[in-house]
Amino acid sequence: MMKFEPYQTAEIPGPLKAIPVERPQTVAGIIRNAKRPIVIMGSKTFDVVPEKTLRDIIQISKQVGAEIVVTGGINKKFEEIGIKEFKSMPAMELADRLRDPEWKGFDGKGNYDLAIFVGFRYYYGWLILSGLKHFSPEGFKTLSIEPYYQPHATFSLYNMKIDAWSNYISLIKESLKEKR
Amino acid sequence: MPRKSLTFKIGELKTDIATLKNLEISLGRVEEEWEEPLGPTPMPSITSLRRWDYKLLQRYKPFYLPFCDLCCLCTFGKCDLTKGKKGACGIKMDAQQSRIVLLACCIGAATHTGHAREIVEFLVERFGRDLPLDLGDQVDLEAPNIRLVTGIKPRTVGDLEDVLDYVEEQIAHLLASTHTGQEGDPIDFESKVFHAGMLDHVAMEVADIAQIAAFNFPKGDPNARLAQLGLGIVDINKPVILVIGHNVIPSIYIVDYLNETGLKDEVEVCGLCCTAHDITRYNDRAKIIGPISWELRFIRTGVPDVIVVDEQCIRTDVLDEAAKIHAPLIAASEKACRGLPDRTYDPVEEIVEDLVSGRQKGALILDMDKVGEVATKVAIRLAPERKKFKALPSTEEVIEEAKRCLQCGFCQKACPNSLPIPEAMAMAKEGDLSKLAELYDYCIACGRCESACPSKLNIITMMVKSSEKKVKNEIFKVRVGRGPILDTEIRDVGRSIVLGEIPGIIAFVGCANYADGGTELVEMAEEFLKRKYIVVASGCAAMTIGMYKNDEGKTLYELYPGNFDAGCLVNVGSCVSNPHISGAAIKIANIFAKRPLRANYMEIADYVLNRVGAVGIAWGAMSQKAASIASGFWRLGVPVIVGPHGAKYRRMLLGRKEKRENWYVYDARTGKKVYVGPVPEHLFYAAETKEEAMIMAAKLCMRANDTTKGRAIKLTHYIDLYKRFYGKMPDDIHLFVRRLADIPITMKDEILAELEKKGWKETEIPDPTLIEELVRVKEE
Repeated sequence: MMKFEPYQTAEIPGPLKAIPVERPQTVAGIIRNAKRPIVIMGSKTFDVVPEKTLRDIIQISKQVGAEIVVTGGINKKFEEIGIKEFKSMPAMELADRLRDPEWKGFDGKGNYDLAIFVGFRYYYGWLILSGLKHFSPEGFKTLSIEPYYQPHATFSLYNMKIDAWSNYISLIKESLKEKR
Repeated sequence: MPRKSLTFKIGELKTDIATLKNLEISLGRVEEEWEEPLGPTPMPSITSLRRWDYKLLQRYKPFYLPFCDLCCLCTFGKCDLTKGKKGACGIKMDAQQSRIVLLACCIGAATHTGHAREIVEFLVERFGRDLPLDLGDQVDLEAPNIRLVTGIKPRTVGDLEDVLDYVEEQIAHLLASTHTGQEGDPIDFESKVFHAGMLDHVAMEVADIAQIAAFNFPKGDPNARLAQLGLGIVDINKPVILVIGHNVIPSIYIVDYLNETGLKDEVEVCGLCCTAHDITRYNDRAKIIGPISWELRFIRTGVPDVIVVDEQCIRTDVLDEAAKIHAPLIAASEKACRGLPDRTYDPVEEIVEDLVSGRQKGALILDMDKVGEVATKVAIRLAPERKKFKALPSTEEVIEEAKRCLQCGFCQKACPNSLPIPEAMAMAKEGDLSKLAELYDYCIACGRCESACPSKLNIITMMVKSSEKKVKNEIFKVRVGRGPILDTEIRDVGRSIVLGEIPGIIAFVGCANYADGGTELVEMAEEFLKRKYIVVASGCAAMTIGMYKNDEGKTLYELYPGNFDAGCLVNVGSCVSNPHISGAAIKIANIFAKRPLRANYMEIADYVLNRVGAVGIAWGAMSQKAASIASGFWRLGVPVIVGPHGAKYRRMLLGRKEKRENWYVYDARTGKKVYVGPVPEHLFYAAETKEEAMIMAAKLCMRANDTTKGRAIKLTHYIDLYKRFYGKMPDDIHLFVRRLADIPITMKDEILAELEKKGWKETEIPDPTLIEELVRVKEE
């Protein structure tokens, strides 16, 4: 499988496609440069993300002060593994708000400038990212850290095996730690 | 205007120059007598209800999810519409998306309209225009959608021709507005989408009431009998005729031929998709195999001796699939000729010989009597010869086939649900078929994996073989589609629904494109049944609900009564039976609340939006028809939730609960504008999971008119589901509690604590309406 082609064969994107990010350090830079990042974890999180990687993602969000929002009802599972600090909102409702420059965010401080997506069904995430690509305010960016290429994000990782992906996420965390 | 043709008949007229016999002269149409005065919008044009649509769309704004960055509908293009760019015609992405939605809904509405036209024409030809539309003595309001939209009260099948004339004209206008350079505003496109949906419900109603009346289908019978359902129900020792599609007429003529020739016990007739629903409404021996997802599976078993297709949801490669199992295909609709030779006017025996000998793989036959006779004769002749094809490959053959898997992963990339087929193949080649059997439960049997496979593996067949035990045990029961909701039932439950004491009506509709298998639908239906909602079903969803059994071997249809009442499960029937669901909401406004019905769309929709807690769940919606069915519900004020694949319909219609200014209504008693909270919060929503869908459905049942008792009941279900699935209280309760009396007693302390945190204050409960003219007394 090519690294930077859509994971599902027929989901052909373009002309505006996600900027592929090969290096974890680059991803760390994108996250670090965001003023108000938010991490959005979809209903498939516990199906695709190993627990160690999940904890790395949570650590990343803490490193940059990003709020975590879970969608699709995975709240209980989060709490079961001892994670308490997160918000929840249905994915479509959240995406609808992310495109609204007037939205005040979960903390009342205004909308976000970087939405980091992980744990979504491929096509569902694909469509939400498409909606945000076309209708989000100027300056708003999306980053897909799924283990596959998501062409409608502003930035996306590439298709990789889960082990390699876990390692990649871990390196993002390390890179953010080094530059703190 | 409602009209009637004026016809003179003269038995014999002698003049100086000639003698005329049986002369019939039609002198156009005359006004019809109907006690109810005509409302403001008879046969509305594509803009007549625009004002209402704008009110809805002001609250429920489209959130577009483009499938494609481009427009490629004209030779100016392809045009790049990304990030605010305009196409060569000036169109922008939001308008382009709504334009595509409108195209989809026009396809859907046209499909049902074509279906309805075909049925009506056929019935007029066979039985005459005067065939009465008798839906039984407990259904006086026989055509709520038709009466509401057109102002026509149809009494005979012939009256339905006028209705279809109107619908066809409107669809032409809608389609025209999608042409390059016509409509360009997204909200106006959305208004037209609503119009297409409304027309669709009218057309479907035409089709269903015509066939109910003509073929004596159940007429709202809550105790309609149970039919057999599943892959395991077919007696393979008999010749098997498989019917597929949506237009039941060819199937009826097969059954009639079997009855007339005394062969009814000798031949199996089984169906797929809505034709199957409808043939069981006609005949007690017919059987349902399942929804469209079962098409490839069943054909691959080799069991059908002849396949008869009519129209709509049929695999377009059905001829190839039929040929693989050496079963001839008979196409019986002008709309789906499949490239077959037209044998309509050929002698039956010649056609039979050509099909039995294999000289021809199939035939197009547009004479329904002939379809019945040919299908039967071919099945009987071929069945003994075809015994050798009525078998799946052996386990050893499946294992050998799995060894040809290259582990390239193309199948998984092609699969709509990204099923781990390579993993299952790796296990299968080691002799373990368990993973393939597991995937059977989640596979929608679309066959995209097979098309992608470089080794040409028959993946669907391998899955079916690996699940052979399950397949043989697919023996279920489904209540036959009962058609309309009785007027008496509406009188009995109308008050409880409008006051909110029955927590809601949940309608499971649509196709079988499930993201995580059909059991999710059953779980949802059962949840709402246990909670005493009225659960209604139609089409493929109604089949899926019947495809699972409890520990005692009973399906939900055997466990719950078929009444339109709290805690009951109603199967209205096929796709074209959906207007009995929208019709029930309309009937509540008319029969229970005495609101004028005739050509009075806006008032009735306003009533439904503000008072009737109904929600559609189209968990596996796939088709353009599903899109237009949903849009008909939206205009009527009924929200629809779709499953994850439903996000591919390209846009949601979402409310913003925190925007207080969006949730005001008029109090019809005073004219004052009153805040009522986000009820219902959304009009169209694609949920990620079944849990999210159930919580959302319970929430969307809340309406501005709920009494305090009703709201307390609805809140109980919403909060209870939320807590069960999410483990905490929802954070938006303060938006739904209007008075302290709204608070469920069992949750009082918890809710009061939440309300205090949010600085909640009591609000009024108005007599809600969005329409200024419905205000009875205006404030000074």
